[in-house]
Parts: sequence; structure tokens; C-alpha cells
Amino acid sequence: MDDFIISMKNVSMNYHTVDGETKAIDGVTFDVNQGELLGIVGPSGCGKSTILSLIAGLLKPSSGEIFLDGKVSYMLQKDYLLAWRTILQNALLGLEIQKKLTAENKKNVINMLMKYGLGDFLNHYPNQLSGGMRQRVALIRTLAVGPDILLLDEPFSALDYQTRLAIADEVWKIIKQEEKTALFVTHDISEAISMSDRILVLSKRPGRVIKIHKIITSGEQGPLNRRKAPEFRDYFNEIWKELDVHV
Amino acid sequence: MYEAELSKNISKEHEEYLKKVRQINISIRISQIIILIAFFGLWEIAGDLKWIDPFILSQPSRMWSTFIQLFRTGNLIYHIYVTMYETIIGFLLGTVLGTVIAVILWWSDYICRVLDPYLVVLNSLPKTALGPIFIVWMGNGQAAIITMALAISLIVTIISVLNGFKEVDDDEIKLLKTFGASRYQILQKVVFPSSIPTMVSALKINIGLSWVGVITGEFLVSKAGLGFLIVYGGQIFKLDMVMTSVLILSILAALMYIGVSYLEKYFLRWKLS
Repeated sequence: MDDFIISMKNVSMNYHTVDGETKAIDGVTFDVNQGELLGIVGPSGCGKSTILSLIAGLLKPSSGEIFLDGKVSYMLQKDYLLAWRTILQNALLGLEIQKKLTAENKKNVINMLMKYGLGDFLNHYPNQLSGGMRQRVALIRTLAVGPDILLLDEPFSALDYQTRLAIADEVWKIIKQEEKTALFVTHDISEAISMSDRILVLSKRPGRVIKIHKIITSGEQGPLNRRKAPEFRDYFNEIWKELDVHV
Repeated sequence: MYEAELSKNISKEHEEYLKKVRQINISIRISQIIILIAFFGLWEIAGDLKWIDPFILSQPSRMWSTFIQLFRTGNLIYHIYVTMYETIIGFLLGTVLGTVIAVILWWSDYICRVLDPYLVVLNSLPKTALGPIFIVWMGNGQAAIITMALAISLIVTIISVLNGFKEVDDDEIKLLKTFGASRYQILQKVVFPSSIPTMVSALKINIGLSWVGVITGEFLVSKAGLGFLIVYGGQIFKLDMVMTSVLILSILAALMYIGVSYLEKYFLRWKLS
């Protein structure tokens, strides 16, 4: 119980519109441990993104409690690089907003951009970069503010399949290298198994926790290697059944 | 990055393509100039051959001598100055005030919803109807003319700038909120810069509207300016003076429009790269 960094206790969330009330999630309870990568899978509209918004403090829960032990930074579904800012200016956006744009922080960001293959593009504009590169800039922008916890909301859904596999591998390495805790949401079961240490399966709306899987695979680690592991298929089948998909 | 690669080694096919594009551009420009020359040429000839009555319809040569005459007597530059001054002041006031009000309405959704019906009514009201009121309030001088220009451009500016603000991607705003941005930071970092294209097109409309306001105002009260020359020329039946002033006016309006286009290029340079 002591080394968790996020803890949700019996959290429910309702949305209100003039037309009525929607229950997004209902009594969700889970912990995330230090340094862990927790994947959340579930059918669309099950409140996956709601959970991230609650942890990020963008929304207040209708009931229940959320404990956080660290600074959170949120990466959205698309890169949302601002078109009129250069790559470097985009990567510095978070620091600028939080008024932490010191020479040292700026140097760190430049180093990170160079380390992850963007050194030649510091003064380019976003429309000159490929989708995968843009996603990397978005991740660096998220990391730049020095968070302990990363929230990733379907971070690869805007990319084509090949890019998606490659960038997932890269993002996984970056998260592990920088020793961050991460919570990431996806509707892609394979992607969740390939990246996560544990997977939380949510039910249809209102989202409830069906099960939490600990993912252990033999052989080398990392998303691309994991997809080749013999256990991959078993996890896939199990989660597929739990999601109870009907078309 | 790709353009640079292209320009380094141009293939023959590409060269021909570029040549074709250039030829079309040149031929369009030549056609435009031909129309201009033909229009004035025909006008001149029609006047000489008495197809039309130059006394009523004027004639390019008569306009030219009127221009020289107005210029010599020293008045023309002053009239141009007066009109330009009123237009630029009205334009700047309309733009700045309109943007400030749009910011206030963006800031508070409540105020925006309260004022919405008033904006709609004011927008559809023909502002020239307010002319006599302005004259009574501001006296029959430049203040009334500038107010006229302001009244015509202000509401349109508010509405188009506000629409630009509201069209900003909600997710870009969410991105800033994830970093804990204040409302002011959201305005400064996302809403304002991403609305610049809308604001520039609002400026372009505003220029035209400011001219309308100033000329209408000058029709009503002025003692100087191009609008005054037009009205005065009409009253004393000197159509040469009217036509010359209209021509000068269209040249000035075009120049100001080109100025704003350069401004647009400067502000949107990130779009071109």
C-alpha cells in the first residue's frame, strides 16, 4: 500500500447536459505503483478518458476520492502542436505556461529533442514534420515540465499502423529511460498488452473495473518483442472475452 | 525542406511546367492592363467623337487636367490628407475597440449571451441612419465623420473576431489546461495567435467599411476631403471633379488594401514555410 503513486477509491463521475445525465464511470477503484506502466482498455465511451481527466484535475469527481503522490502531465490523443510555433517553442510551451522557462530547463528540452532525433528540426514548423516526429515532440513537451506521472490518452490513434508500432516502441523506451510512471488509455488490446506492466479492463458505460491483469512475458521486453512472446495470444484472448464485444 | 530539394535539380519536365505557370500569370496580368487601357481609351474616344456628353460623363483627359488644376491650387493634397486621416483613425479605432470588446465577450460567456440580441440588432441596423445623431452629438466636424466610420466597422469587427475566437480548437485549449494555464494564458498563447487569420480578414473588410463611413460622413458635414469634393462637384455640376475624386479614392483604397495584404503575409509566414 505504501509505494502507490496514484490511488482511486470508489470514484464515480456523472456528466450533466440539458438533455439529461450520463453516468460515465461508476465506483472505480485501483492503484498505480511507482515506475509502473498501467494500460486501461475498454469499449469506446466507457469513460477511459474521463479517468485521465479526473487524475489530471480537469474534472472533479461526483463522488469518491483520488490520491496523487507526484506531478502529473497529460498527453492528448493528437499531438496538437501549435502551427505558428517552431518545434522548440512547442516543446517549451508547458514550461512557459508554468513559468519555469529557465536557461537550464531550456537546455534540457533541447538535449531531449536532440536525443530523440529532432535536433535538426528545432526551428522548423510542425507542418514540416511527419506524424511520428510530431508525436515525439508532443511527448517531449509533456516530459519537459518534469512530471512524475504521465497520462497518455490513446497517444498513437492518429498515426498509421507501421508508424504506430514503431512510435509505441520508442515511447515505451523513453518512459522507461526517464523512469516515469505512466497511465495510458487505448481501445487497442494488442497495444495495451505490448506496452503495459498491468492492464485494467473497463466495462461498457458506465465504466466499472472488470479485472486487472499483470502482464508477464518471457523473452526480451519492449512492445515489439512482446508481440512475439508466446503468452501474448493468451492475454489477448482473455481480455477479448472480458470485453464481450458484440457488433 | 522538400522545396529546396526540388529547386536544386530541375528536370526538363518540371522546367516546362514552371514555364507554363509563368506564362499564364503573365498573360493574366497583360489582360488586366489591356482592359484598363481599353476602358479609358474608349472613354476618351467616345467623348471626342461626341458619342457621349463629356459634360455629364467626363473624360480621362478632362479628369487629368482637373487633377493638375486641383493639385496646383494646393487643395488636392490637403483633401486627400483629410480623408486619409479620418479613414485611418476610424479604421484603427474600429479594429482596436472591436478586438477589445470581442476579448471581453470571449472572456465572459455570460456577458456574451446577454448582449447577443443587441449585437444582432445593431449589426443589421444601417449605421448611416445614425449620421444626423452623430452630427448633433459631436458637432459638424471631423469627430462626427470618424464616429461614422467607427460605427460602420465596429460591430462587424466584434462579430467576426469573436467568431474567430470561438472557432479555436477546444482540444488546443484543453492542452493548455493540462499544463494548468490561466484564462489569460489561454488567450495569449492559443486563442489570439490562432485567430490572426480571421482578424486579418476582418481588417480587410474593415478598410472598405471605414472608407464607406468616412465618405458618408463627409457627404453629410465636411468642409474638406474627397467626399466633400465629390458632393461639391456634384452641386456645382462639375462632373470632372467628381470623377477625378472617385478615381483617386479607388487608388487610395487599393493601396491600403495592399498594405494590409503585406501585413497578412508577415503574420502568416508560418503557413508558407
